[in-house]
Amino acid sequence: MAQSVKPISSPVPDSWYPTLAVFMLAIGLIVTASFFIYEATSSRKNRSLAKELTTGAVASVFLGFGSLFLLLSSGVYV
Amino acid sequence: MKRIRFDLSLLFVFGFCMSFSTVCSDLVISKLDRRIDLTSQLVRTTVSLKVENNGVDSVSEILLPFPEHQARNLAFLSAMISEGKDKTKSSSGSLPIEATNPKGKPPSLTWYSVSLPKELSKGGSLTLEVKAVFTHVLRPFPEKISQADVQLVAFQDSAHYLSPYTVKVQSLTIKLPEPRVESYTKLENTKFSGTEIKYGPYENLPPFSYTPIVVHYVGNKPFAVAQELVREIEISHWGNVQITENYNLVHAGAEITGEFSRLDYQARPHVRGASAFRNLVAKLPPRAHSIYYRDEIGNISTSNVWSDSAKTLLEIEPRYPMFGGWRTSFTIGYGLPLKDFVFQSEGKRFLNISFGCPMSDVVIENLIVKIVLPEGSKEISVSVPFPVKQSQETKFSHLDMVGRPVIVLEKKNVVPEHNQYIQVYYRFCNLSLLWEPLMLIFGFFLFFVACIVYMHADFTISKSSPSYVAKLQWDEVQTAIQQFQNIMNRCLVVHDKLEASLRELSRNGNVQACKAARKAADSLLKELSKELKPILSFLQSSPQAVQIMPKVEELVSKERELQEKLMLKHSTVVDSYEKKSGGRDIENRVAAVQQKITLLRQEVDEILEVIDEI
Repeated sequence: MAQSVKPISSPVPDSWYPTLAVFMLAIGLIVTASFFIYEATSSRKNRSLAKELTTGAVASVFLGFGSLFLLLSSGVYV
Repeated sequence: MKRIRFDLSLLFVFGFCMSFSTVCSDLVISKLDRRIDLTSQLVRTTVSLKVENNGVDSVSEILLPFPEHQARNLAFLSAMISEGKDKTKSSSGSLPIEATNPKGKPPSLTWYSVSLPKELSKGGSLTLEVKAVFTHVLRPFPEKISQADVQLVAFQDSAHYLSPYTVKVQSLTIKLPEPRVESYTKLENTKFSGTEIKYGPYENLPPFSYTPIVVHYVGNKPFAVAQELVREIEISHWGNVQITENYNLVHAGAEITGEFSRLDYQARPHVRGASAFRNLVAKLPPRAHSIYYRDEIGNISTSNVWSDSAKTLLEIEPRYPMFGGWRTSFTIGYGLPLKDFVFQSEGKRFLNISFGCPMSDVVIENLIVKIVLPEGSKEISVSVPFPVKQSQETKFSHLDMVGRPVIVLEKKNVVPEHNQYIQVYYRFCNLSLLWEPLMLIFGFFLFFVACIVYMHADFTISKSSPSYVAKLQWDEVQTAIQQFQNIMNRCLVVHDKLEASLRELSRNGNVQACKAARKAADSLLKELSKELKPILSFLQSSPQAVQIMPKVEELVSKERELQEKLMLKHSTVVDSYEKKSGGRDIENRVAAVQQKITLLRQEVDEILEVIDEI
């Protein structure tokens, strides 16, 4: 085979998956918690939709990547 | 004892062929050495032919005929030119072989033609090495044995090589697994020694010579046949190649009759169950991980793994010893690192993986290899070194939207010789990797949006009920209190800023900056008190705020007092600085006020906390 052949590896080293999963899920859950605290404590008129959406978006990014890495580290290669 | 019947059709073929002997070309095989290896359930024949061209025309292909019963079971055929003497083989890759149907040749034979890389000119010679592997040619005889019997196997072939060319000198060697033979056909020049039977040399035989022989010998090697093997190879660009193999295994040797005694088998497995096999060894690639071995019931615990840098050995033991005619089905699976099997070349990616089954002594009747490429792969092409049936399907797996393209390769009669590397080429963009996390993110986001909608929506059916109205009012009060708290907190922040400006002043003595800070604070406080007014009046008018009102009013008054004291302190300090009084002097003057401020601040904080808890 030609010299231009080079092996392909994953974009993130396999050994980082568990660590990434733990940290991203932790951050995601903290942001989720703050989201729900905000939902529960602020009264209906004082709530700002933009703040709710941004908190939700940030939480879902962290939870999304966190759960992906959790799947990968537990052997479910999606 | 029963006699083994010769296949009458073979004799017919033999006679039929003789009549065609005149049509052959000018090629002559000057020396032919044939070895048949019967040590496993497969028949492996290696024929080395020295071909000479005695004719005038150049020859570019050599014909290899096989009788019908062999051709049906021919699993693998390869031919190569071996140069040099004897063992020092320097072969130059296998030559292209294709099935032909030459005119004027007996049609009861199956013909293959080997294309030579360069034509054999007049008087030239070359040595060809032909390897052929047959499955299901060995017949257990008797077909049913008891547990204590050894397995006897009958093998039929011709003592003379079946060829359309004249063979000058030829010999045949049959290698047996054990030096025990029930019977064998004795011709002239037959020699039996150790585990080998030798026929020949025979000289100057005409084309299509055929002399049937039968060897009836002890063959206790396992006849492990996978009637169907489905190998699924799933590529994940997150770093894994997952292989799952579903076996449907049968012992295709002599069937067991009578009862099976586990006790006898445990006590003397090599005598009471000589033809049975207990385990199979799969040779997996190095760095295989997450290996499992299970069947429909669940995990099978009788397995072992050894690994080193060159391979991973997996020894699996079915739930029971496999006797003739017994079946089992199981699944093994393992993960392999992506970087060992998937490569990139000229913008295309390709998977380079071995085709057949990792177990060396298993024959597969029907092998289905499914290669599951990641979602979004395009321009898929496959390169396999032998003919296979190819099709394409789609598979839905974890987090898929449109499904993953699956290449399905099917081949019948697969032997270990087919364990060659195949390549699957495809195009894949790394950005497609992000689809899966994006879907997860989207899912979570939908959940949050649903929560937001739920919190904002009003699901009350009766909008006029007193409890609902009360709740609405309480909501408004709560809103007002939260706004009030917010304003108070902002006031306190302004206070902190003023204090900070004083500290700044004591450090650098910049009176102007301090005055500017004061001005800003003044205007801010004024605005805040303006904002406060409507909230306070609302709270006063609202009946539900009665309980909390005293605290609110107390807080307002305390805050106002605190504000006054702070202003007083501020103006005093600034004045003193303008008059250039000493540091101690200022401190003395402010001391009383300062005490008061600290006290008030504490009270304000406490009240804020109390309100917060309501």
